[in-house]
Amino acid sequence: MDPLVLAIECDPAVDVICTPEYVNELFETQVVFSIGGFDVNRAMLLMLLAAFVTIGLLFFAYRRARVVPTKYGVAVEGMVGFVRDEIAIGIIGPEGIRYFPYLLSLFLFILVGNFFEITPFVNFPITSRMAIPAFLALLTWVIFIFVGFAKNGFRYFADIVWPRSVPIFLRPLVGLIEFFSTFLLRPLTLAVRLFANLVAGHVMLSLLLVSGFIFIKSVGDIGARSVIGVGWFTIGLAIFLFEVVVSILQAYIFTLLSAVYIQTSVHPEH
Amino acid sequence: MEDISGALALIGYGLAAIGPGIGIGIVAGNAVQAMARQPEAANMVRTTMFLGIAFTEALALIGFVLFFLA
Repeated sequence: MDPLVLAIECDPAVDVICTPEYVNELFETQVVFSIGGFDVNRAMLLMLLAAFVTIGLLFFAYRRARVVPTKYGVAVEGMVGFVRDEIAIGIIGPEGIRYFPYLLSLFLFILVGNFFEITPFVNFPITSRMAIPAFLALLTWVIFIFVGFAKNGFRYFADIVWPRSVPIFLRPLVGLIEFFSTFLLRPLTLAVRLFANLVAGHVMLSLLLVSGFIFIKSVGDIGARSVIGVGWFTIGLAIFLFEVVVSILQAYIFTLLSAVYIQTSVHPEH
Repeated sequence: MEDISGALALIGYGLAAIGPGIGIGIVAGNAVQAMARQPEAANMVRTTMFLGIAFTEALALIGFVLFFLA
């Protein structure tokens, strides 16, 4: 059941604290329809929508190349140029242009997915479902390992587990730490960072806005509660603005770190 | 004495967040100092700051995961 529906059905005059009957109701989204044996829920539809928005954003900006671009074209070009110059070429170097399409689609998809959190009537960031950040992080993981082996051969792996730049008696220890941090912790932290930030933001917004809404709704019953409700709602709106910054920043950081990980595979020993 | 109830994992996450909290403070503070001293290098400093923050955050994130696992 949707938490918002739960909140509206809950009567604060009767129940002091409104709780769902079963805690998983907060995490399960309703099945919209099913095809064959597959259930399609709202999160999956939003994923498709995010993909179409990402494609549409670029398609309508670059459908016809203009000498003098429209305002919308300039905005998209600014974003694309930022990813190309600051992230792809700025971090990886001149050959970063090869990884630019991947980084751009990563950035735009995560950005659109994050913005679903603060879009009215959608209010659900698809990146707060672990499957999406985990899959994107695995994609980066596969790419940087593949690039590392393709560019440097077996030396890529040997340099990580037997780093020649540290004293010989420290090499096993440093090699072990490097192995874990490169092959296990990198994708884990990459995925969890995005996931945790978006879950925290979504929970905060839901709590403040929905509970503020319930409290304001109980105007006739208890006057003091509606005052508290207005206060909470105001804090909720302030956090709403904060989440705009978080959405952009997390998309940027995910793309930036993907670029850095690819860079360490392209030029090791830096 | 009353019984204390609740998840120990919550305390674990709190402990895991202390170190990265201090670390991110140091990173961001020094980045602001560097940008104030040399505003023309602000872009480079900002990128490096985000990288430093992202790597420092890792321990807090592992704590967050363990909170769910515990």
